[in-house]
Amino acid sequence: MDPFESIKATFFQECEELLTDMESGLLAMEAGDDDPETINAVFRAVHSVKGGAGAFGLEQLIRFAHVFETILDELRSGRLSLTEDVTRVLLRASDVLADHVQAARNDGSVDETRTHGMISDLQGLVGAERAAELGFDGEEEDAGEEDFGFVPVTLSLDEPADDAPPADVSDLIASLAPAPEAEAEAEAEVAAPAADSLAEAGAAPAWRVTFRPKTEMYAKANEAGLVLRELARLGGVEVNLDASAVPPLDQLSAEQAYLSWTIRLTGDATEAEVRDVFEFVEDDCDLSIVREGEAAEAEAEAEAAAPVDIAAEDSDAPADAVEAAAAAPLDLDALLARVQGDSPAAEPAEAEAPAETPAPEAEAPASAEPASLDVAGLIALAEKASTEHALATPAAKPEPKVETKAESKAQAAAPTGGSAAPAPTIRVDLDRVDRLINAVGELVIQQAMLSQRVFESGLARSSDVALGLEDLELLTREIQDSVMAIRAQPVKSVFQRMPRLVREVADMVGKKVRLVMEGENTEVDKTVIERLSDPITHMLRNAIDHGLERPEDREANGKPGEGVVRLAALHRGGRIVIEVQDDGRGINRERVRGIAMSKGLIAEDAVLSDDEIDNLIFLPGFSTADVVSDISGRGVGMDVVKRSIQALGGRISISSEPGKGSKFTMSLPLTLAVLDGMVVSAAEQTLVAPLSNIVESLTPRSEDVHLIGGRDAVIRIRETFVPLIDVGVALGFRDTPLPPSSGVAVLIESEGGGKAALLVEAIQGQRQVVIKSLEANYQQIPGVAAATILGDGRVALILDVDALVTSSRRKSAPRIEKRMAG
Amino acid sequence: MNDTVTQGAAQRRELIAFRIGDQEFCVDIMSVREIRGWAPATPLPRTPSFVKGVINLRGAVLPIIDLGARLGLKTSEPTARHVIMVVHIGDRTIGLLVDAVSDIINMSDDLVQPTPDVASDQVKTFVKGLFALDGRMVSLIALDRVLPETEAEAA
Repeated sequence: MDPFESIKATFFQECEELLTDMESGLLAMEAGDDDPETINAVFRAVHSVKGGAGAFGLEQLIRFAHVFETILDELRSGRLSLTEDVTRVLLRASDVLADHVQAARNDGSVDETRTHGMISDLQGLVGAERAAELGFDGEEEDAGEEDFGFVPVTLSLDEPADDAPPADVSDLIASLAPAPEAEAEAEAEVAAPAADSLAEAGAAPAWRVTFRPKTEMYAKANEAGLVLRELARLGGVEVNLDASAVPPLDQLSAEQAYLSWTIRLTGDATEAEVRDVFEFVEDDCDLSIVREGEAAEAEAEAEAAAPVDIAAEDSDAPADAVEAAAAAPLDLDALLARVQGDSPAAEPAEAEAPAETPAPEAEAPASAEPASLDVAGLIALAEKASTEHALATPAAKPEPKVETKAESKAQAAAPTGGSAAPAPTIRVDLDRVDRLINAVGELVIQQAMLSQRVFESGLARSSDVALGLEDLELLTREIQDSVMAIRAQPVKSVFQRMPRLVREVADMVGKKVRLVMEGENTEVDKTVIERLSDPITHMLRNAIDHGLERPEDREANGKPGEGVVRLAALHRGGRIVIEVQDDGRGINRERVRGIAMSKGLIAEDAVLSDDEIDNLIFLPGFSTADVVSDISGRGVGMDVVKRSIQALGGRISISSEPGKGSKFTMSLPLTLAVLDGMVVSAAEQTLVAPLSNIVESLTPRSEDVHLIGGRDAVIRIRETFVPLIDVGVALGFRDTPLPPSSGVAVLIESEGGGKAALLVEAIQGQRQVVIKSLEANYQQIPGVAAATILGDGRVALILDVDALVTSSRRKSAPRIEKRMAG
Repeated sequence: MNDTVTQGAAQRRELIAFRIGDQEFCVDIMSVREIRGWAPATPLPRTPSFVKGVINLRGAVLPIIDLGARLGLKTSEPTARHVIMVVHIGDRTIGLLVDAVSDIINMSDDLVQPTPDVASDQVKTFVKGLFALDGRMVSLIALDRVLPETEAEAA
């Protein structure tokens, strides 16, 4: 990826975070939070999106963001007060903004009518008069364009305190300023001779500043780095360090100044402004400030001046300076990593640092100069790096760390991880994590194989080898847990999309809905997270469309007109449970039953418990909506949700109370990579049953087993009859069922709470197994969830318990779990 | 056993020849990842009879297809003398159970003849073409048709 594209990718990543911040801010405002800081945060988020968009010339996005931002500014300044209507419009505007970002990212197009509608809604908030004053009113296009170049730069400098960490990068990117130039700058050969970069830079207005400090300058405790940073505030800078005057180490005088810089300054600074920067050092350096184009001459002139003088660089703490210098590249590193979202890119900078750090045995006075050389070099490096990455800006981040010697140590420590608030994080390519997880998976298998070999070799359990292996097993598990934790993420990333969905669905069906979310920080493996979104979306739609009544009906029933939908995530028993609850009318059991009968899904005379009736809605081909609406009921009903959840090894069930509402509960494994299983044998095959499904195991007595009809057996477990499924037969490994008394029955619970007993020959033990997909190289097989590799290196199949139960239920449906009277 | 490779012969390629019963077949050498001895496979439920099951290939679960059965030839009970050719088909990796690997053939595409009409439908599905080699007949296998789901009857 070329650097520009990668910065753009980073911008969109940042955008996502910004949009999230914006939405949570708006939601807080909706909930009545009128803290100016909240409004500010939202404003900054929109502003940063706009600023970044400016750098990439995403005009539609800029235009909309500009209007949005202006309204937020009105709000911020108190000219517009925060009312329910305002927040509602703002929330919708945030959706449109997200659409714009999405469109810009995919090079797609946005719904123009919606955008225009939204813009006029936004303008409507402040009234036509004020809108005209603010300069929209049909002219918003101009306003946007004129704005995008420079305003972001100014603001990000004026409000350094406002720089919330997530906004930094965008702000930096934003301050790229004239967008078309960004690319040229990014590609400009920084280290090349001035004339070259001059030629490449084209006709953009620019100053060429040659800055050659004399030794006196340092003697007066002036610092070249500070000057350069000051200069960088005036616009885009491109700094070249000329270290050619530095003599070999043995001839190096610690007190002399050897370095000079050539700075190319873009932007509209006047000569007086540029000269002001050098006000304090003017007399102690060779300085030339010329317009681009005259620069070549000036360069030659400057070359002629020989700046060899006596230095008095009084670094009284050389050791610290060296340390600071050494610390600086790390910070630079961190910055680059953040800017690029790609840590390896920073390596070159890091690599250079050790080379520059002087040998420790250098005599005391000499050590001061190399140290300052490092610091200066690092500034140049920092500049160079930032220029290379098209961050031609106040190299605001790296500089504070390199600017002085002794303090820089203390300073350097703090900004490394960004400001205090969030814990330091790194962005890692998911592929790398996956590779690690796979390798750990192999490790687990290998460890199990080794254990088995040792066990087979007949070593005593108390032998050193066996004990060592036990430790190894614990360690392996710990590594595995830690590795899985790397990939664990809070469900927030899915949940945060839901408020928008709820708003849109509610608008579409004309209902008032409040979404309450709980447990957003519940963590679950990324592979699971990615697949949570669809079922949750579907369940929420269903809850709003079918669950909640119309406002007038609700009021007639003595309920508040606004319905409440609760979306919650929690951990329970090693699984993640997602609940979607509404306070609507609940399931109309008579109607559900009627539909199921008319569609032939159940027998006319079936005796069903309330729970069983509720769970009928998961049957394929069942859809209760009389009118097929746009929201749900497209013929794909809850059965699709159920199937997709089952595919993840999850279960879903519903409980409902007429008039009070219904609750969908789905539970999923925390990860799709490993599973705790019970290893069983059936028909000479070794199989694994997921432990999460297993309730208990027992040896059936033949008097407890009864046949219903020809072959379908049920077993009495305490006072309940449950179907007895011979696994060997169900999977087609064998034709004749095993005599029940010679096997072991494993009582399992399927997703709907339905129970069944699996008849197997023996239970071998309990083990954590690594899930291997069968689909990767073959295809899905009914009754088999996946495969795994056992300790002996052979493949064992993992049973899809729900599918086994369902297929047996289909034969003997619907008389599953009938309680005995009494 | 190889012919000398002449530079510039654009459509020349290398094939791996193998035997099933007394017939000889071949596949492009580039699609073969490795050749290994037969190891007992874990049978899969409800699969066609030519799917012998799955084996563990260094952590990956690999389905084994009995190519002879797939082609409608005799089915043999695999022994240690049988060979599994691990091949790439698209983005999948599968093992083909064959009797023995016999040769590496270097030949050019224009020597391949279309499958004559006499062959049964089943053979024609999997055989892309034929060519003669030292008086023997070698059939070129169409690997992408070997996996069951490309067939309508796949369960």
